[in-house]
Amino acid sequence: MKKLHGLIQFKHIRTRIAVVFLSVVVVLQLAGLVPMKFSLTHHANKIAENQIEIGERIFVSLIQHNTQSYKQAAQVLAADYAFREAVASADIETIESALSNYQSRIHAEVAYYVSEDGAMVVSTANSQEAYRKVDLKQASQQFNSGKLKFDIIDGKPFQLISVPVKAPVVIGWIVLGFKIDNNLANQIKQLTNLDVTFIQKMPQKSWQLVSGTLSPESGNTLIHAISGIYREQLSIHSIEMDDKEYHLKMRSLYEGANGESLMVVLQGSVTRFVQDLNTLFLTMLFLTMVGIGLLAVVIWYIARKLVQPITELADNVSEMTQGNYDQEIQINRSDELGHLGKLFNDMREAIQQRTRRIQRLAFNDELTGLSNRLAFMQGIGSAILTHAESKDKCSVIVININRFKPINNTLGRDFGDDLLRHVGQVLKENIYAAHDIVARLDADEFAVLLHHADQTRATAYAAKINAILDQPVHVQGQAIDVRTGIGVAVYPEHGMDEESLLNHAETAQQESKSKKTEWIVYNAALEIDQSETLTLISDLKEAISQNQLLLYIQPKIDVATRKVLGGEALIRWVHPEKGMIFPDQFIPFAEQTGVISDITNWMLNRACEVLAEYKRQGLHMSLAVNLSTRDLNNIELPEQLAVLLAQHGLDTRSLKLEITEGSLMQDPERAETVVRKLAGMGLHLSIDDFGTGYSSLAYLRQLPVQELKIDRSFVMFMDKNVSDASIVKSTIDLAHNLGLKVVAEGIENEGVLAQLAKLGCDEGQGYFIGKPMPEKDFSVWLERWEGQDQVDINVDIGDDMRFATNPLDPVLDEKSTLKLNS
Amino acid sequence: MLKLIFVYVGWWIVTGIFAIPLYAAEVTFTVTDATGKPFPDAVVALFDGKSAALTTTANTKIVQKNKQFNPGVTVVQTGTLIHFPNEDTVRHHVYSFSPAKKFELKLYRGVAANPVQFDQAGVVSLGCNIHDSMIGYIYVLDTPFFAKTDSQGQAVLTVADGQYTYQVWPAGRLKPSVEQKQHINGATAIKVNLP
Repeated sequence: MKKLHGLIQFKHIRTRIAVVFLSVVVVLQLAGLVPMKFSLTHHANKIAENQIEIGERIFVSLIQHNTQSYKQAAQVLAADYAFREAVASADIETIESALSNYQSRIHAEVAYYVSEDGAMVVSTANSQEAYRKVDLKQASQQFNSGKLKFDIIDGKPFQLISVPVKAPVVIGWIVLGFKIDNNLANQIKQLTNLDVTFIQKMPQKSWQLVSGTLSPESGNTLIHAISGIYREQLSIHSIEMDDKEYHLKMRSLYEGANGESLMVVLQGSVTRFVQDLNTLFLTMLFLTMVGIGLLAVVIWYIARKLVQPITELADNVSEMTQGNYDQEIQINRSDELGHLGKLFNDMREAIQQRTRRIQRLAFNDELTGLSNRLAFMQGIGSAILTHAESKDKCSVIVININRFKPINNTLGRDFGDDLLRHVGQVLKENIYAAHDIVARLDADEFAVLLHHADQTRATAYAAKINAILDQPVHVQGQAIDVRTGIGVAVYPEHGMDEESLLNHAETAQQESKSKKTEWIVYNAALEIDQSETLTLISDLKEAISQNQLLLYIQPKIDVATRKVLGGEALIRWVHPEKGMIFPDQFIPFAEQTGVISDITNWMLNRACEVLAEYKRQGLHMSLAVNLSTRDLNNIELPEQLAVLLAQHGLDTRSLKLEITEGSLMQDPERAETVVRKLAGMGLHLSIDDFGTGYSSLAYLRQLPVQELKIDRSFVMFMDKNVSDASIVKSTIDLAHNLGLKVVAEGIENEGVLAQLAKLGCDEGQGYFIGKPMPEKDFSVWLERWEGQDQVDINVDIGDDMRFATNPLDPVLDEKSTLKLNS
Repeated sequence: MLKLIFVYVGWWIVTGIFAIPLYAAEVTFTVTDATGKPFPDAVVALFDGKSAALTTTANTKIVQKNKQFNPGVTVVQTGTLIHFPNEDTVRHHVYSFSPAKKFELKLYRGVAANPVQFDQAGVVSLGCNIHDSMIGYIYVLDTPFFAKTDSQGQAVLTVADGQYTYQVWPAGRLKPSVEQKQHINGATAIKVNLP
């Protein structure tokens, strides 16, 4: 069956079932019918043969019976005393009359009496032929054996009967000749249903018809047919006459020495039997066909019934293919198909659940349950579509939580998550319409789509959110201050598509964040900075290779002795078109894109070159280089540094590395590994911007750092602000207690310097001492500083305005002190 | 009875007178069939050419008993009277169509009225018109010298020396199978081998 399936491709199972079953039935029926057809034909022939054999026996028996009765009749004559007396007395006349009398009584054709010695005594035939034919010896034998005797007399066939006349010994013979005529043939036909034909052959002549049941024409046809075959020694011959098949039985009755022959041909039609059986066969064939037809209908019906649930299942499943999982598959069956339907149902439900989950994952933020960026974008997209017609306005508001990462790092991820959920909740609670969308776009960035809100309504929302979040937020039983940056973009003024709307809102948000304002509505002016940055990023890589970067140094002195110890290495980028670019314009992006590693490498390399040059000049200075988060995650950094130092023949003490608390927190374990290796090499490590982060001293104590740099925000106004001063003081005390040196940043006047000296601060840097300067100017500064009067300490050197031609450069106050990785 | 004895003795005297030749000779016939076996009941006869028909009233009888002629073969000299007593309970219709003697004794019981005289030499076939199986033969011969062979196929005739012709008839034959001239001088043995 399999091969069959290979040969024929069925479109439907029901067709396959029907075809297979019908084929089997047809084959079985044929397997029965074909042999039956053969066996019927065989049987028909057999019957025909039988018929003819029986016919022959009947023929013989009839002839014998006739002969017997003729004989008995003749014997009556032979035994008649008077006849015998006539014979004994040779009374010819009497004998002849007696014979004639008997002849006509028993319908014999000829009769004669022959004496015992063979002499013809009396004959009723005209010719002597009959006498000539008499052979008494044969006659006697024939009489005793009962054999039939045929003969041809005067060209006519006869059956001869001889009866002895006894007185009491045989004294003569009565011989009677009976004509072989149609009567005999008809008689045989009546009994046997066979056609009977007597034919004879005279010397040197062909067969001729004597008598029979056939018409003369048929008889002659028969003669013609058998003349060729009569010598064949077959019990039964088959011939065709008039397109009908006949069986023939030929029986020779007499064969004379001179070539005379007499033969009877029994002829039975096979066609008659074949026809009967053919009719039977055709009836059976017809019935079979009708049966197969009925069966085909039944099989077709059953196959349909069988396949129907499968088709229904398929329809249901195809519904599922369309994405319609709501329709339950209705199959109320307890069989395998019912089971399959149930399984499909289970599958449908599972898929439905999974689809929902996937949709949720695709469009929802797992943490807060708010929409995600994708869903939000779609939301804006559809809002724009509706508003494009209604001329209504909608607003996109982006809210960012400032310093979320430190919160997360310090108070734990759970806390951070709860905080995010809380903020999300606040945002959600204040939307204007139910279909307004609140989404979390990024770790600490949320966005709100207000469908029907112009700038006024949007800023009202922003203000409200800001006001709420300005209050301490209670999360996990703790109150925490959350600062937010909020940007607003309004459709269609600030963007015609979702992409630009969201980007602009984000830009505004960044601006709000950096300006520390409540909220900012997008305006084109914000965009300039933005696009600037983008271009810078692409130019940055080139900058490294094309030597557009410069190494600046901000000097660092011993607070107590005011001796120059070295400086902090800083970076400047002289853009071929834009002129001087400060690090805070490109370092954050460099960090994001990974270019920071190249910059750090460049810095370290350059710092080592400078240090080596100083060393040659006999100056024993140290330079501090800032490391970024990525640098601290670079396991190979210690190795690279070792190679670098060795290349320039530098002592490890001459290079200091500054790291921020934040950079340590990104991947604390890995960062710690790198830091420990660096310390192990003897490198001087310093914690930058101490006080702005959330790192605990307890944690820092475990690290192999030697130094803390107090953030400038505490130092700058410590001469005026008592609390700042006390923070600085306690930090210095604490650090010293932990065995750490303290460096103060942002020293802008003599008073602060003096105050720091009093508090025991170890080192200091700031504009009062020296602004960041090109490395080539450092020696000039150094000479002036070393040689200056301690009173006139202000040195007008540092960030040369010749380079600072960037119109977007922020105001050059202490706040924007250009520092790597600030 | 006495009369019968008388007749018998008388017959012997008569034949004795004629049978006493001057020189009597015994002729012994031995008849065998083609295979050499003895042939019984064959009729043998010697003819001298002189003995004529009997004018005597010699007689004999053929009895019908058990639907048979007894004896089945009877040899008599020409002129002999034969009685046909019927000892069966059924009636018989004895007839002969033989040229030597045609007669019929219509249905009768017991002894037929008159004997039948066989006055012409020849073989007479006896039949019964009622019982086809009853066949008898009477050989009527023109000689007094005849006999039937015994079970050994032998028959002995006593004749005077002289020239004879002998004939041998197997029972049922209408013609002699053997006819041969024979000079007899003293005891003679004749062997006949029937074909």
